[in-house]
Amino acid sequence: MIRTLSEARSRATELAVSVGSRLGGEHQLTQLANTAASNIEITLREVRNAAAGDNNDKQDSALGIWELHGAMQPATEAPSPAPAPEVTASAAPSGLDSEHWLHAFVDELLAQARASGRITFESAERLLQLRKDEFLRDFLTARRMYRTYPRLFPEIADETRQAFTP
Amino acid sequence: MNVDPREFNALTRKATEMMSDTADVPTVLRSRLGAQHELTRAAGVMVASIETFVRELRSFDASAEPVVTDTYQDL
Repeated sequence: MIRTLSEARSRATELAVSVGSRLGGEHQLTQLANTAASNIEITLREVRNAAAGDNNDKQDSALGIWELHGAMQPATEAPSPAPAPEVTASAAPSGLDSEHWLHAFVDELLAQARASGRITFESAERLLQLRKDEFLRDFLTARRMYRTYPRLFPEIADETRQAFTP
Repeated sequence: MNVDPREFNALTRKATEMMSDTADVPTVLRSRLGAQHELTRAAGVMVASIETFVRELRSFDASAEPVVTDTYQDL
């Protein structure tokens, strides 16, 4: 179920960006798309919180909400937590700009692994999705800025003008 | 950039797939947690908002939208 919701959130975010880029942020369809994406996010967060809480208490709980992990998954896709690796040095990838999203992703993943003592596909997927959502939001903001204030981006304007010059 | 009806057909198809994939979430939660559980209610709101979005997307007439320019005219 968490995977289903996570994928739905990703799709809803992409749809909201696509609709918004075509119709504008104030259009009703864009707002409906944003609302749907927001509601998926809320549901996903609550399911994750419930699953995490249940995981802590599952010795005493008969509810088994942790089973919701696999409620809508094929039987062969049960979650498989893996032990966290020992981290002795910075694992930041080399050759990338210091502001590249991969640095933040790796740092967050390792910090989470240190805190919880393990790395799971679920936690990695969640962090990656956060990075993707952040990228999409920044991309949309940048595009709006360019369209609203094109003179602030002369280098892009020059490229655009050259591209359309015969 | 023109608002291309074919693009909106593709978006509608993706949104419909998303709606289909999430349609069972409230049912699953209701069967395990009960209808009054906070999670069940949140899932119901989520599915309703997705359905509203898809319904409006399906009824949207892209060809009726004004043409939107993609480049700044003064450039």
